[in-house]
Amino acid sequence: MAPPAQSQRSHSPSQPSGKGEVSDLKMQLRQLAGSRAPGTDDSKRDLFKKVISYMTIGIDVSSVFSEMVMCSATSDIVLKKMCYLYVGNYAKYNPDLALLTINFLQRDCKDEDPMIRGLALRSLCSLRVPNLVEYLVGPLGAGLKDGNSYVRMVAAVGVLKLYHISGSTCVDADFPALLKHLMLNDPDAQVVANCLSALQEIWGLEASSSEEAVREREALISKPIIYYLLNRIKEFSEWAQCTVLELVSKYAPPDSNEIFDIMNLLEDRLQHANGAVVLATIKLFLQLTLSMTDVHQQVYERIKAPLLTLVSSGSPEQSYAVLSHLHLLVMRAPMLFASDYKHFYCQYNEPFYVKKLKLEMLTAVANESNTYEIVTELCEYAANVDIPIARESIRAVGKIALQQYDVNAIVDRLLQFLEMEKDYVTAETLVLVKDLLRKYPQWSHDCIAVIGNISSNNVQEPKAKAALIWMLGEYAQDMQDAPYALEGLIEDWEDENSPEVRLHLLTAVMKCFFRRPPETQKALGAALAAGLADMHQDVHDRALFYYRLLQNNVSVANSVVNPPKQAVSVFADTQSSEIKDRIFDEFNSLSVLYQKPSYMFTDKEHQGPFAFSEELGNLSIGSEPADDILPAQRVEANDEDLLLTTIEKEENRAHGNNDSAYNAPAYDSSLSQLAVSQTDGELLSLDQTVPADAPQPSSAIDDLFGLGLSIAPSPAPSPPLKLNSKAVLDPSTFQQKWRQLSVSISQEGSLSPQGVAAMMSPQALLHHMQSHYIHCIASGGQAPNFKFFFFAQKADEPATFLVECIINSSMCKAQIKIKADDQSASQAFSALFQSALSKFGMA
Amino acid sequence: MPVAASAIYFLNLRGDVLINRLYRDDVGGNMVDAFRMHIMQTKELGTCPVRQIGGCSFFYMRISNVYIVIVVSSNANVACAFKFVVEAVSLFKSYFGGAFDEDAIRNNFVLIYELLDEIMDFGYPQNLSPEILKLYITQEGVRSPFSSKPSDKPVPNATLQVTGAVGWRREGLVYKKNEVFLDIVESVNLLMSSKGSVLRCDVTGKVLMKCFLSGMPDLKLGLNDKIGLEKESQLKSRPTKSGKSIELDDVTFHQCVNLTRFNSEKTVSFVPPDGEFELMKYRITEGVTLPFRVLPTIKELGRTRMEVNVKVKSVFGAKMFALGVVIKIPVPKQTAKTNFQVTSGRAKYNASIDCLVWKIRKFPGQTEPTLSAEVELISTIAEKKSWTRPPIQMEFQVPMFTASGLRVRFLKVWEKSGYNTVEWVRYITKAGSYEIRC
Repeated sequence: MAPPAQSQRSHSPSQPSGKGEVSDLKMQLRQLAGSRAPGTDDSKRDLFKKVISYMTIGIDVSSVFSEMVMCSATSDIVLKKMCYLYVGNYAKYNPDLALLTINFLQRDCKDEDPMIRGLALRSLCSLRVPNLVEYLVGPLGAGLKDGNSYVRMVAAVGVLKLYHISGSTCVDADFPALLKHLMLNDPDAQVVANCLSALQEIWGLEASSSEEAVREREALISKPIIYYLLNRIKEFSEWAQCTVLELVSKYAPPDSNEIFDIMNLLEDRLQHANGAVVLATIKLFLQLTLSMTDVHQQVYERIKAPLLTLVSSGSPEQSYAVLSHLHLLVMRAPMLFASDYKHFYCQYNEPFYVKKLKLEMLTAVANESNTYEIVTELCEYAANVDIPIARESIRAVGKIALQQYDVNAIVDRLLQFLEMEKDYVTAETLVLVKDLLRKYPQWSHDCIAVIGNISSNNVQEPKAKAALIWMLGEYAQDMQDAPYALEGLIEDWEDENSPEVRLHLLTAVMKCFFRRPPETQKALGAALAAGLADMHQDVHDRALFYYRLLQNNVSVANSVVNPPKQAVSVFADTQSSEIKDRIFDEFNSLSVLYQKPSYMFTDKEHQGPFAFSEELGNLSIGSEPADDILPAQRVEANDEDLLLTTIEKEENRAHGNNDSAYNAPAYDSSLSQLAVSQTDGELLSLDQTVPADAPQPSSAIDDLFGLGLSIAPSPAPSPPLKLNSKAVLDPSTFQQKWRQLSVSISQEGSLSPQGVAAMMSPQALLHHMQSHYIHCIASGGQAPNFKFFFFAQKADEPATFLVECIINSSMCKAQIKIKADDQSASQAFSALFQSALSKFGMA
Repeated sequence: MPVAASAIYFLNLRGDVLINRLYRDDVGGNMVDAFRMHIMQTKELGTCPVRQIGGCSFFYMRISNVYIVIVVSSNANVACAFKFVVEAVSLFKSYFGGAFDEDAIRNNFVLIYELLDEIMDFGYPQNLSPEILKLYITQEGVRSPFSSKPSDKPVPNATLQVTGAVGWRREGLVYKKNEVFLDIVESVNLLMSSKGSVLRCDVTGKVLMKCFLSGMPDLKLGLNDKIGLEKESQLKSRPTKSGKSIELDDVTFHQCVNLTRFNSEKTVSFVPPDGEFELMKYRITEGVTLPFRVLPTIKELGRTRMEVNVKVKSVFGAKMFALGVVIKIPVPKQTAKTNFQVTSGRAKYNASIDCLVWKIRKFPGQTEPTLSAEVELISTIAEKKSWTRPPIQMEFQVPMFTASGLRVRFLKVWEKSGYNTVEWVRYITKAGSYEIRC
């Protein structure tokens, strides 16, 4: 590098990104390096500060490495620290230069001042240069035996650092055994704690390859060690206490006396000022008493007060962390918190994430005695200016209604919401009233009276509109205006963007027709005509289906559309109890905040360099498994899932018709089978031209009527392939599988022109594919080239299909690569995938 | 594994890095960019303090005009991480003397790096106690506590105390005048319905101490809490004196308090750290005396006019007074004109927060000033939505009053040299979130 012009040498004003600045520094450092004049240290300090501040803001100052090292011969401890920091930052990328530092670091490791020894040892271990590890072993060994606890404390963590650079060097030098010895004998508690942390990590990582490590890891949670640590618990710093308590929570005492001994010993930890210690203690207590039901309950009672205190003190972030844990406990045992519901009332200024958790807890703890108060409070929030909170509150009221006894009062409240005349309130309420009626048909009279007054013009959200239309159809006989309201809606058919709404409209008008034929006939005709002309496949099919059904036999049609219904008794739970238990086992960690077990989000692979992760990094993460969606939306999606599946189950079991009017059951072949069995046997004889196509029940039904109209004929797979509607796969597993599996099918597919038009927003494709149970894990690109990664799962077994799909929208072409766990099914899946893709945009 | 951090960053509001400290290699160097891109530059900021991007989790906290971001790649202990940040900030504050903001960080960044080095090693929190750290990390830094030069004798062996049994206090302190200051600070949280019934009410209190005591003193604090009193009467086998006793829902103590002794004898005994610290925190939900009652009546007269009447009653003793009372009465956004009359203090309309702000500097007990206002609204044509009223909020400080009724019965100082001490006790009640719906 050329030396800068002399004129620049004066302290020029800062122009941080300048190369000149850096080389200027280099010059000045070089001058100072040899100087022994008084005051040198002060000017060195200024220069070092500059270097560090450049380093912090991201300017590369690695070029002054050798000068820094030369200047490091100093007795000034602050200078030394800055130099160590610098060296630690750049050594990794300059391994050759790092060798220069070894010398002075090793010398400092033998300094008579323990402070210097400790600092030097810490820096030496932080160099992170693999080929320098041989120089670490000596000083580390000496450090572990140092007479000063500060040095030993640093050395213990140093061993762990060494292990991360070179595991074999660390194990070969027998450091773990030394650590263990120190852990059990050192008088200084912080040394003990650091040894424990290091050993836990080393044995934990080593356990996958060595049996001895597994034994050692087990030995850490053996009685003698646990008792040794517990007896010293008060010596430990608050942070070290967390480590110890976490370790103890893995220990399973052989009898209940021991459990009580441990709990008695640690009960005072619940009064510790550090919330982390309190949480760690709570975890320990909960884990210890898992098998003792009554004691477990008492533990809940005991920890309630400390938890509530923690929630109400500290910053919002801290209280959020605690609140998430409280949330978990409340969900596990709502009855135990029923009397504390007032603690979950929201304050006006609390952030959204806190309010949301509180609303969920309020919903969970509602019981006979407190429902009235809770619902009153929730109604306050419904009037909140914050729209997401208002929506959440209304949903919460609805959930309480679905789980509670005092429905009467709640129904009144819900109906009052409709009078608030706010679009979003009305929308949420309509959806809820619909669910409520499905569970409690006896309330229909009261609800319908109010619903009848709502003008469909005021309802814009598709879900709400669909709900309203469903009610218009279902209760056509009680609503004076039903046929006319429907007629109005059908007139606006063209402007209705949501296929879901159009599907509902078809079904509703059918139902209405059977109850009030003369008034509805005209509307029905208009609806069927519009439906048949509809570009959306499902809408078209359903219109056609109804049309043929009516043609064939009106009374059969009636029994298909208006079957006797059973009230839905229980709505399914979103999370399996197994997952909930996993989360509970990981109490006091991120799992609780994310509300999913750690294997779903920790991802050791992402550090490894491989192509896919980069690819994935560049793509925006889309769809379910990724966490990119707002929490509120995610919940919404879950809710919908929930409803769809329950409806399907319910009605499939009872009657097997597609009265439910949801567009989802497209690939549920059980439905198609039922449809087959229900419609007359002789209809089957009409089926001549095209063989029944199991994975596409909609077209299968067409074929049953001998129409041969199926739009996207696909190669007939022998066994019908069913996909799991709620397939889950986290990105890391996806990446792993993608690397492991070989491509089983690679082919070109086509997109309809409408599909290409709809590609204006790739999000639409994701939703479309999701409705076919094919989920997107990542997507990216810009017109005309898009790239998507999809996955799907078989409904009956956990076999997964992975798809890479590159779409060129200007050519209407799609490159599809499919990888499958079950190679034999990949052909069927490919057909399914392509037909789904070709239908995209038909709306 | 309570790993608290793989890396820790301090950013200013624009997203410039002020401090970056990487503890582990398991997170990449471009984490700041990820944070900036996916959190700071989106609406996500403020929606949730814990977020996952790629394989890493970000915990962030805003403190004055600085974001402190912690990055981890494993399933970390969140509560521990946030607590660590809070503790670290209070440590920095004790070094800078007060403010913690962008300027302070820029001026002290070398010191912060030094401290970050000591308080966390490879992601594991180490010693964060300012008392001890100040022994060997000084801004002068030239002097090492271990140097064997005889001139350096005032600082004893610091590392022994880094983790010693009394980690929070060093030996050999000498004060000419031995003094203890004790403050009981309570904040009252209230949520009252528009009908005047209390929906939720609790008090969170702190006992703050400032100790300037020589040697290794043993302190004992007695409060008029129920359990403590009962225990005492049991021990002395005589009935409790009549008088108010307080039931504490929950108490937490500074690490200096001997918890075993608290559990067996129900007395708070401790060897205090030197200087200022928070001795204990407590929470009370029963028997809270609200210092103020607020009685609002708000009438909407047609579309363009509103009448607001608010009466505030002080319930505490007539000889006491509250300071800095602020009552914020919300009004609709489309407020055009306001007219007030107040019997005490001053009021004005603050358009930026859509509130009538009524301030009373000194508010004596047992009085009830009122505000009556007429609010004119701009009539909007399309506005058919009714106005949803946010709650009235109140701020205040009442010295020499505790909403819970908690009192210090005694504070005993015992030291082997037997010196005399002067004890000062103060009480103050503040508003936490004091909300009255209207």
